[in-house]
Amino acid sequence: MSFKVLKRSALIGSALLVSAAAASAESFKWASNTDPQTMDPHAVNSAPVLSFLNNIYEGLVRRNQGMAIEGSLAESWEPLEGEDGWRFYLRQGVTFQDGSAFNAEDVMFSYQRASNEAADVRSWFAPVKEVRVVDDYTVDFVTNAPNPLFPDSIANFMILDKGWAEANGAELPARDAENYATMNVNGTGPFTLASRDPGVKTVLVPNANWWGEVEHNVTEATFTPIGNAATGLAALLSGEIDFIQPIPLQDVAQVESRDGFKVLEGEETRVIMFGFGHEHEELLYSTDVTGTNPFQDVRVRMAAAHAIDIASIDRVLFRGKIDGASQLVPAGISGYSEANSTRPAYDPEKAKALLAEAGYPNGFSFGLKCPNDRYINDEALCRAAASMFAAVGLNAELSTGPVRDYWPQLRADEFDMYLLGWSPGTFDMEHPIRFLMSTPNSEKKLGSWNFGGYSNARVDELLPGIQREVDPAARQAMVDEVVAITQEEVAYIPLYTQPLIWAAKDNVDLTQRADNFFMLRWVTVN
Amino acid sequence: MAYFILKRLVQSVFVMIAVAFLAFSLFRFVGDPITQMTGVETAIEDQERLREELGLNDPFVVQFYRFTGDMLQGDFGYSYRTRQSVGEMIASRIPATLELGTVALLISLIVGIPTGVYTALRPRGFVTQSILLTTLVGVSIPTFVIGIMLIFLFGVQLGWLPTFGRGGTVQVGGWESSLFTIDGWRALLLPAITLGVYQLTLTMRLVRAEMMEVLRSDYIRFGMARGVPMRSLYFRHALSNTMVPVITIIGLQFGGVIAFSIVTESVFQWPGMGLLFLESIRFVDIPVMGVYLVVIAFFFVLVNLIVDLLYVAIDPRLRIKDES
Repeated sequence: MSFKVLKRSALIGSALLVSAAAASAESFKWASNTDPQTMDPHAVNSAPVLSFLNNIYEGLVRRNQGMAIEGSLAESWEPLEGEDGWRFYLRQGVTFQDGSAFNAEDVMFSYQRASNEAADVRSWFAPVKEVRVVDDYTVDFVTNAPNPLFPDSIANFMILDKGWAEANGAELPARDAENYATMNVNGTGPFTLASRDPGVKTVLVPNANWWGEVEHNVTEATFTPIGNAATGLAALLSGEIDFIQPIPLQDVAQVESRDGFKVLEGEETRVIMFGFGHEHEELLYSTDVTGTNPFQDVRVRMAAAHAIDIASIDRVLFRGKIDGASQLVPAGISGYSEANSTRPAYDPEKAKALLAEAGYPNGFSFGLKCPNDRYINDEALCRAAASMFAAVGLNAELSTGPVRDYWPQLRADEFDMYLLGWSPGTFDMEHPIRFLMSTPNSEKKLGSWNFGGYSNARVDELLPGIQREVDPAARQAMVDEVVAITQEEVAYIPLYTQPLIWAAKDNVDLTQRADNFFMLRWVTVN
Repeated sequence: MAYFILKRLVQSVFVMIAVAFLAFSLFRFVGDPITQMTGVETAIEDQERLREELGLNDPFVVQFYRFTGDMLQGDFGYSYRTRQSVGEMIASRIPATLELGTVALLISLIVGIPTGVYTALRPRGFVTQSILLTTLVGVSIPTFVIGIMLIFLFGVQLGWLPTFGRGGTVQVGGWESSLFTIDGWRALLLPAITLGVYQLTLTMRLVRAEMMEVLRSDYIRFGMARGVPMRSLYFRHALSNTMVPVITIIGLQFGGVIAFSIVTESVFQWPGMGLLFLESIRFVDIPVMGVYLVVIAFFFVLVNLIVDLLYVAIDPRLRIKDES
């Protein structure tokens, strides 16, 4: 192919040679460690799937390079008058990749599909009471209560074509056997599927009829999952792929030292923290304390917080790439509490004094649980933290394991202290308050990741207000109060924001978004 | 003969059921599939409903009975993770693993047998000692280290060979093969060498030991005394007698090559059954893990059967016994 092109251009003239070279440069190959397991946008609520499918499907709204919400299939939206909810005005003249027109019926159908029991993304629609089609290009989402964040919360709610799904028997996400939408797509997005071999290779090509303004210059994009980090790095350095996400921290120097490659560093929105068994009446893994749980004493929790030396962890384990966290979201996320932005200082003497005050002058032993394949350097972090705890008398019995076994252990309350990373799915502080700080209540779907059962009546009382308040200042005041309470009570020990490290060839321009999503429409191959 | 083969195949069904039983009794300790299948925001009750739907709350015996019952009827179930048919998933990955294993075995034989003979004939030569030392080092280094070293040398530094994947494949009657394109062979070379190093060393040392043994035996000495040409003595008389135990061991090892290609497949992102198995462990995809282990058990039984048949073909004494 390229040989033919070269021969022809040699005949016609060198001008063509230049354009032929440019054309061949636009095919783009990238790799990541996990294959999106399905092409169905409603079947799984996981980052690899949603990130990949955002190139093919589109939602009513989308996030721009700086994570802000902007119109996508909806051109504008406004609160409903006279009732709670939002009205979306849809973009006209948009077609799906098979040529059929996009309208309000497709939104309605996609809502019904995504909120069905068979869909893993249905939790997004918990606040929705009713969806109404007003006309072909106007849709109302009626909510149970005022919900200023609703448009932000559905940025990954992708719209399918009703006719296509019904004609192919994909009215619902696959529950048992795969269905047509597991392997085939028909979105409105900038790219469409050319071929798919699950776990091996997936090829995307641009959608020529996309409504948006094309910023990329990719003619064909090939995705390969590469599970082994060393293999992925070798694939990049040998030039077989143009871009990989993520690369291990220890390989950064290796990539930077070579010509023609660059490392893209940023911060994810994920905050790493330690959690406590607040509601445990006694320690499970202690050799010297029985019948009581010292961590129920706020002075002991505060002592643990003062024992952690984030600067050393940063220097030794993270090569200076992390920032300490004061609360459960990083700065820049909406609702971040500027008023409470200092974290407990590293102060072993104070920690020892607090322990003595609480009646443990010689400390005590307890069990610390950590995953070893979930967060960057998670096991090493816990080893470092355990030795820092030990320096003040808190003797952590560390046990680590793969994440597939970790969540069940936490759900079964098998811990005294544990490690957790949290990325706010809605990119708002309300998310961790709802999942990590509210008293667990399965009926109200609150506190489902609050493994330690942290409970504070005032926090529970403030959450509905935070969810409903439209006035930003009043809302922030409530969030500030929650953050102040949870800091004072040391509900968690926030440690740091997890770094985000990608690597690419020098000639590739791309955008690293804080949610770790990779968007092909921002790729330029020079 | 037909009865013998049939008997072995029936036995293999029991082997597979036993493997499935062992596998299933271990799966409960692998982790929780539900938390791997659902997102963080999924409500607890939705998780519980999914658990119920998949029958994960049923007692172990019921789950095992359902799995084996379905399998005996040819229903391999569906992957928890991708929802694809497990039968199709595994079938689509078999060619990659078999081609890799076969080429690794061929490399080990083509290199191992001649070097084995050579080192037996010149046991004290400098070349022999160097070969023995090199292969000893080669066999002592773990497979994944060899793989990564080869990748960085030939893939990254020299840029001669691809670092991952199968390269160009062509469909030959539903069999996705990399043996018919240059690209396919280039991609195959490094993983096959990595996988074959251990076999190669084993073959060479086995051939060497057997050959030295045979060369000491009486009939070789008589042959020498009679003036039979040395070349004919070494390669016709001695080598063919050497091959009987070598084939047994190598044949039995082939089952292991297929099973242990997991590491090599992972290092080279080689899309075979082993890589699929690793992925399914990561996501606690129980149906895929179960079927993979049963299929591997079947391969072992099959390879053993083929070795038994080859044995008969190579060793005339067994044939005579069979006829009498």
